[in-house]
Amino acid sequence: MTRPLLAALPKWQELATCPTFWALALGALGLWLLSPTRLRLGKSLGSLLLAAAGALLAYDLPRLGGWADQGVFWLLAAVTLGAAVAMISSHSPVYSAIWFALSLLGTAALFLYQGAQFLGVATIVVYAGAIVVTFLFVIMLAQPEGHSAYDRLTWGGLPKVLGVVTAGALFGILTFMLGALKNEASAASRAAPPAAAAARAATGAADAAVRAAPNVRRDPGGVLHDRHVANLGRRLFSEHLISLEAAGTLLLVALVGAVAIAIQGRPRLAERIEEALR
Amino acid sequence: MNEVALLYNYLAVGGALFALGLVGFLVRRNMIVMFLCAEMMLQGISLNLVAFGRYHNDWGGQMLVIFIITVAACEAAIAMALVLMLAQRAGKLDSAAWQDLREEGQPPYVDHKVPEEPVEEQDWPRLTPAGPAPRIDEQIVLHRPRV
Repeated sequence: MTRPLLAALPKWQELATCPTFWALALGALGLWLLSPTRLRLGKSLGSLLLAAAGALLAYDLPRLGGWADQGVFWLLAAVTLGAAVAMISSHSPVYSAIWFALSLLGTAALFLYQGAQFLGVATIVVYAGAIVVTFLFVIMLAQPEGHSAYDRLTWGGLPKVLGVVTAGALFGILTFMLGALKNEASAASRAAPPAAAAARAATGAADAAVRAAPNVRRDPGGVLHDRHVANLGRRLFSEHLISLEAAGTLLLVALVGAVAIAIQGRPRLAERIEEALR
Repeated sequence: MNEVALLYNYLAVGGALFALGLVGFLVRRNMIVMFLCAEMMLQGISLNLVAFGRYHNDWGGQMLVIFIITVAACEAAIAMALVLMLAQRAGKLDSAAWQDLREEGQPPYVDHKVPEEPVEEQDWPRLTPAGPAPRIDEQIVLHRPRV
């Protein structure tokens, strides 16, 4: 059992020349510096390290094609991940919630970039419009003074290091398992170098359809067809009808449960009257 | 566009989002921030699902994300009610306030040194002066010293 696992592990020479590995190491160090700490220079140094890690990671990812596609993707990914980092490192929970909303906007834009129009808009409406606002309400109800001591603290030195190392190892394992997919993607992008794709893109707007997998786009039931939302609705209300009903029931149950919990939380009226009379 | 590279890039961004959420969940102590981090992990998963759905030209990924959003909304409603109740009982959002629930025999967690609030965080905004300062009637000042 252990032998194939050991044989599958990368060699040290491969690790030392792998930009993703160094990006992970730098990113873990930056996150460690950014998480609530007593160091004075922690914030600026940590963000610098994380920016370097992001640049290394972007350098190691396979290219998408034209420079326009690539630039838009890098911008959206940078907004999403940068806002996520700012969220877990800001001391005030209100700032955390607002950074989370920005990260959600980046995710919604990434959905739109994939052609998932309904999901992009639904993410903005449901998450940024409803859930984050609820979070802000609860923060302002439960912690009206804003900053507090436990927002500037973690669980101590060792748990912080262990948390960062765990997350870094998780990302490392995920990317390592996908090595074959990455090699395939790099080979495909080398076969169609970006300059040629850019030249083709400059020749006319009609090429846009050709660039994005023509047979996929013409497939009337496919995810990239122009009648996206109509197709999605048809699938949702035919194939997934029972799941949809179950989700609706779940929403009702959650609503009733939330109200019940919120009422249970405060002392009963009779008890309060008794206390006042005593 | 290079579809395989698009898939790989989205998987990498989704994985990074998940890892960041994990770090936040393990490191932060504010219950609401911990919950936001859990939501961020869900976002990373959703990115992966949408990318796989596009790569295989299949609707399953997007359907699953729709149900993820629904369940996340339910979860947020119930968790907010619970967090509000816990905050009312303990008086703060610190999850260390509920460490009585720990396993038997574990030593309690004690904060050894609470850091001071940094000076730059207490810097309040100042309004720029616009126009001349108003003249203040002394009689009014004597009558209403607090206004």
